[in-house]
Amino acid sequence: MRHRANHSTKETQQSPDKRTKPKQAAPVRLLQGRLSVKKLRHTHLRTALLAGLVLAAGVSGAHAQGTSLRIAAAGNDLGTMDPFRATSTPDIGVVSMMFNGLVRITPGKATPEAIEPDLATSWTSTDDKLSWTFSLRDDVQCHDGAKLTADDVVFSLKRAASKASSSFFAEYAAFQTIEAADPKTVKIVLSKPVPGFLGLLAPYHGGNIICKAAAEKAGDDFARHPVGTGPFQFVEYQPQQFVKLKANEAYFRGAPHIKEVTYRYILSDSSRDLAYQSGEIDLSYGRQDPNWINRMKQLPNTKVVVLGPGELFNVHLNMTQKPLDDIRVRQAIADAIQRPALVKFKGAEIAREATSIVPAGYLGHADVGLAPYDPAKAKKLLAEAGYPDGITINSIQTTLPSMMNTMQAVQALLKQAGITLNLAPVDHPTFHAQIRQDLSQVVLYGAARFPVADTYLTQFFESDAIVGKPSAVTNFSHCDIADAEIKAARVEPDPEKQKALWAEAQKKIVEQVCAVPMFELLQLWAWKDTLDFGYPVEASLSLIPPVTEKTRFTN
Amino acid sequence: MTAFVLKRIGFAVITLFAVLTLVFFIVRVLPGDPASVVLGDQASAATIEALRHKLGLDQPLIVQYLDFLGGVVRGDWGVSMATGRPVVQEVLNVLPYTIELTLAALVLGLAFGVPLGIWAAVNRNRIPDYLTRIVSLLGLSAPAFVSAVILLLLFAIQLRWFPVISSGQDTSLAGKLRDLTLPAVNLGLIMAAYITRVTRSAMLEVMSQDYVRTARAKGVPRNVVIWRHAFRNSLIPVVTVVGLYLGILIGNSVLTEIVFNRPGLGKLIVGALGQRDYTMLQGMMVIYTFIVVVINLLTDLVYGLVDPRVQYR
Repeated sequence: MRHRANHSTKETQQSPDKRTKPKQAAPVRLLQGRLSVKKLRHTHLRTALLAGLVLAAGVSGAHAQGTSLRIAAAGNDLGTMDPFRATSTPDIGVVSMMFNGLVRITPGKATPEAIEPDLATSWTSTDDKLSWTFSLRDDVQCHDGAKLTADDVVFSLKRAASKASSSFFAEYAAFQTIEAADPKTVKIVLSKPVPGFLGLLAPYHGGNIICKAAAEKAGDDFARHPVGTGPFQFVEYQPQQFVKLKANEAYFRGAPHIKEVTYRYILSDSSRDLAYQSGEIDLSYGRQDPNWINRMKQLPNTKVVVLGPGELFNVHLNMTQKPLDDIRVRQAIADAIQRPALVKFKGAEIAREATSIVPAGYLGHADVGLAPYDPAKAKKLLAEAGYPDGITINSIQTTLPSMMNTMQAVQALLKQAGITLNLAPVDHPTFHAQIRQDLSQVVLYGAARFPVADTYLTQFFESDAIVGKPSAVTNFSHCDIADAEIKAARVEPDPEKQKALWAEAQKKIVEQVCAVPMFELLQLWAWKDTLDFGYPVEASLSLIPPVTEKTRFTN
Repeated sequence: MTAFVLKRIGFAVITLFAVLTLVFFIVRVLPGDPASVVLGDQASAATIEALRHKLGLDQPLIVQYLDFLGGVVRGDWGVSMATGRPVVQEVLNVLPYTIELTLAALVLGLAFGVPLGIWAAVNRNRIPDYLTRIVSLLGLSAPAFVSAVILLLLFAIQLRWFPVISSGQDTSLAGKLRDLTLPAVNLGLIMAAYITRVTRSAMLEVMSQDYVRTARAKGVPRNVVIWRHAFRNSLIPVVTVVGLYLGILIGNSVLTEIVFNRPGLGKLIVGALGQRDYTMLQGMMVIYTFIVVVINLLTDLVYGLVDPRVQYR
């Protein structure tokens, strides 16, 4: 069949390439086979084909490695590089490479206990923990060459605390004064003690320190031209494509081994995986799916890593609506949820059973002893509450596949206890809007917060945060039973008493079943096994492995 | 002819205005707003309200609408509510990539579709015809994102001929073509399938006409009969389909751009929808409408070139 086509003059010149031709898409092969040469002559088909083959020969899988790191994030495009506005995971990821804080959490960890000096060499506080003094390093340079002084720190923290310029201003509400005592000293006075205060000064959310002169010069454009002091500095942004960073050769911890970072936005899960597989990406954001782990593990020279902190998935129950206003009904739901089955469903490597309504590992987390799976007891409780034939409850649910399949599993579990859970699927932004309008009786919500119990309790279980109020955050259950403990813990100077108050709050919330804790889901990344981060990588607050001056390729 | 074009432009303006109005209200009916998306999920209701005020979203709809229309008349499409940058600039950043991809897909579609359609028609009810019809049916049925992944697995992973990240950043001609090939083939296959089918049926109709039989009877060579007598006269339906599907092609480019990691309007609109970026969505919808209107006008004008009997009134 190919014989006739082979005699065309154009093709014989290209004979070495021709052998690969039948591998082209099916219609091409058909054309070559049967259509006579004369008919073809008037088309551009063959020219186009040959051009394709010549081009293809020029591509190779090889790429410059050694000092260039290519990262794939799961996003459509850059949102912002202004650290005080960056709230999405891909945005926080790129920001994490460019900035420092007064203190930092040791790279590769995500616990408040691992706080160590960053821009500050040392700090002191008064006994009441209200007045803090930080001494700054002397050798820190901004990416634009300016020397970092206390003015930059004061400017940054004030910016973080301002409603007009920061998404995290609420966390800094207790910062009464922020002053530069001299170019090397920063003083912070608090109006009341802040749990995990030092954590607010770590380079995460509002704790990132930016350079004043550059920020003032850039104005709103700072979001596209960030200037900090971190190991990597901004070079270029290509819309919908990538952010390029280069090494900050004057970095105070030493010049980074990696000289160039390309931070790519690849929205499609499958093309992110394929780009990694083809060698175009060195470090790739994963999918929280056991199948993904198995597939990536089979790739050569690949490390698949499970990374903390876990996102805790709670099912919030609206305590003000029938039939959920009856505690027996809520207890029945808690009894009907089989945590080990859910963990198995999500994948034992990436999920672990929840032990409280606050994620494990957070300062103040307490294992409160959750009710074991007991569908018979659930049915009995429902009967006692006056629903011997079971109940029907409704939930607005995002179509995001990982959340949808979780809720479908919950639906199946509840069914066994006679509870019908109706799911109304909507797109993700609609979901977020409608649950905040108090439209969903049952809300599945997964979140990681700064690892101090206070943040989780405040945002999800304190009455100020109840949806519908002006001060609303994400209290979907209308839970208001632990306000006293949450408020008292916030200002409690004695760490042990503080932990006891937090434990008490968690115990109450679990007893009253404002929400049913289910499981914690960890982050997944895959990277080339030649990539060495220079720190043991267990966890990362910014949800991306720590790319620092120590990161390098070992070959 | 001039009167015809002017009339069509008049209709185009009315269409654009209608689309603009519809889109303005539809995007605002959708639950969720840009303020909450920009601020993230830890923001309090009060913070979100403050940003809504800053963006002017707390004003009555009619005031917002008049503001928007006023801007449009002055040629000001506003700034993206998510990024704060001008809509026009954001669109112009990526528009060339979409045009490039669409044109390449069109060229491929024509290069494959027309010969295949003719081939099937002249071999009616024989093996070439059956094969072409099956293959083009497959082309029509395979979703763009499935064929995209198959193309990537084959040509980027197995054969390593093309990159997975077809970013279009390489400015050399070879680099540009390398980036463009797989996405263009992916879209081009769909286009080729449509064109094959319509070319085939148009050719069949013309081939059964008396003048074709006459030409054959008086001994005109087969090729001349096919290309000069039959093909020219079957072009009008082909041009119509190309015009119609060019609009659809731009729509289909959304999935292709995402899977092949190309910048483009498709990715922009998906992002804008996710962020409920009203101003961006409005601007983009108008651009899409504009493109479709222009293509329709061009299609009408091409009829005249193809068939001298066509008159514009």
